[in-house]
Amino acid sequence: MSEKVISIDYLARVEGETAIKINIKGKEPQELKLKIFEPPRFFEGFLVGRKYYEVPDIVARICGICPVSHMTTALRAIEKAMGINPSQQTRILRRLMSLSQIVSSHLIHLYMLAVPDYYGYPGAQEMLPEFTEELSRLMRMKKVVNDLTAAVGGRALHPVTSVVNGFTDFPSPQALEKLHQDLEKIEADAVKTVRMVSRLSFPNFFRKTEYVALKQVNRYAILEGNIASSEGLDIPGEDYKQYFEEEEVPYSMAKRAKVKARGSLMVGALARLHIKFDQLLPGVKKLAQEVGFRLPDYNPFHNNLAQALEILYGVQECRRVLENLKLSPEDNSYRIRAGEGGAFSEAPRGLLYHWYAINARGVVEKANIVTPTVHNFANIEEDMRHLVRQNSDLPEKKIALLCEMLVRAYDPCFSCSVH
Amino acid sequence: MKKIRLGIFKYSCCAGCQFQFFFFQEHVLETLGAVDIVYCKMGTSGGKKEGPFDVALIEGAITESWQVDELKKIREVSRFLVPIGSCAVNGGIPAIKNIYPEIEVEKRVYKDLSVIHSVKAHPVDEYVKVDGYVRGCPMGERELLELLTSLLLNTKPSFPEYCVCVECKLKGNICLLVAEGKPCMGPVTNAGCGALCPSHGRACYGCWGPVSDANAPALAKKFEQLGVSPDDIVRMFTQFASPRIEFRKGAEMYE
Repeated sequence: MSEKVISIDYLARVEGETAIKINIKGKEPQELKLKIFEPPRFFEGFLVGRKYYEVPDIVARICGICPVSHMTTALRAIEKAMGINPSQQTRILRRLMSLSQIVSSHLIHLYMLAVPDYYGYPGAQEMLPEFTEELSRLMRMKKVVNDLTAAVGGRALHPVTSVVNGFTDFPSPQALEKLHQDLEKIEADAVKTVRMVSRLSFPNFFRKTEYVALKQVNRYAILEGNIASSEGLDIPGEDYKQYFEEEEVPYSMAKRAKVKARGSLMVGALARLHIKFDQLLPGVKKLAQEVGFRLPDYNPFHNNLAQALEILYGVQECRRVLENLKLSPEDNSYRIRAGEGGAFSEAPRGLLYHWYAINARGVVEKANIVTPTVHNFANIEEDMRHLVRQNSDLPEKKIALLCEMLVRAYDPCFSCSVH
Repeated sequence: MKKIRLGIFKYSCCAGCQFQFFFFQEHVLETLGAVDIVYCKMGTSGGKKEGPFDVALIEGAITESWQVDELKKIREVSRFLVPIGSCAVNGGIPAIKNIYPEIEVEKRVYKDLSVIHSVKAHPVDEYVKVDGYVRGCPMGERELLELLTSLLLNTKPSFPEYCVCVECKLKGNICLLVAEGKPCMGPVTNAGCGALCPSHGRACYGCWGPVSDANAPALAKKFEQLGVSPDDIVRMFTQFASPRIEFRKGAEMYE
């Protein structure tokens, strides 16, 4: 029986550090491991003993690409633990920051990490000068959305104004007006991005899975809502532990989450479109149909197209939110109270969970963080098993490239996953 | 102009400094045109890890022994080696764990500790000679451009070597520490951020790490006078640069 070995020591163009190891005998992958060797930093360990107000700044440093998500989710978990209800204005600003970061993150991932494979380049730098137009488009768009995150947060990467129960500063009406205009200018770029991604020749691969995302009645949920799945789950966040479990994996520094008694799940852009496509803005839905995006879609590679569609949604939705936004300083005082609280959000890569127990002095006693890539870990391995089985006749190099592209399609963040 | 041969290496960190390089700074395309990226796993497949490099940029704290071995090899094949960002420069957030007893932090996260090989988090200069520091969390955009331009022009880069207060004064901000009695780390923190937090109504929390002539004990005393508890003072001086002697001096007065 023929034997093949796929061994990738350090996967390029993903956030953080992982290796892939597969042994194939005949058609069957015998051993298949996503060996996430990203060094652990023990956030949940050293957060114990820290003050509650330090937590958002500290957890922002879990990830250099989705700091807003960690920061905002931690803030909401802490507020829940201490019984604080932030104002409508605070919630709107958090949504704006989160959406702008989702667009920013998807842009980096698509243009710099995922697309080079499809055009046959080792990286974005090598795509110059031939793809100057595309990369200039990327730069134009990222500037506007980073400016938006920074206008609200003070800094696009590791924001500073976002604190418990509010913000320490607000963008001026002039700044908001300028951002509104800038967003309008990049809308055409967002449409071009969707068209560009829709023309990539995605591998023909399907495997049914359970999509999980936050869902709200009245809007495309990012920070609030129930946990819903394509297999009928619809539960409040409080019940998360009843339905999901996290396990340690001997060959990986990241833990692996599963739906209890069912198995692997997928979170992220494609999962979100599955759960709440109808809540996208009309222009996005129309373009989705035009470029041939159809639900249900069980091709994980199409997560890239879903991300492109969310870029357009994010740009349009931020503009819509900015339209009538009037900001004023608010009283954001609060009392420190002992309690436990968890919060969920849609980070760029999917469902993110933070949970804290805080004592009466405001000191963290326990912390738990489950990231999108921990949720996706088992599903990536399952998909890879099927992908390898389907393509076991190909030479090792081609199988390896397919596996790399699969992992990249998920847009994993191994720094987050280990944390 | 000859292109700079660049290597970018990531150790224990959030990768935000690489994102700053590739995405958040304004001059990405010009930068990519001026450098030859010989090794950078997050940006490009393949690459030559063995160098040689005109400059190796190192992000992340050093927390595992394999990282030390690799770092020493990189030093040998690099003309300049520069840590980028607070983790590589000062140990950063990962070094919070250093203040707790060994293994205590680790066992809160993992049941099976047999696969954990983490040692205390240290800055890069604990293990190899470095040729400068690009500070910031994430690394400063101005600092990065200063470094790259200096390399291209073969001049010595100039980084701010004074505290955040100087930038605050230049901006005309009202002093949060003196006027509002907020515990602000500005007097002991290296400038470069443009006094970001104080300009947004918030006390500095020291994310760029200590300025070299920091008087942490004096500031810690001031915090105590303002009514900050000893525990909180220790936390403030151990958040972003716990291995650095400049901040340690402030923390150990109250430990």
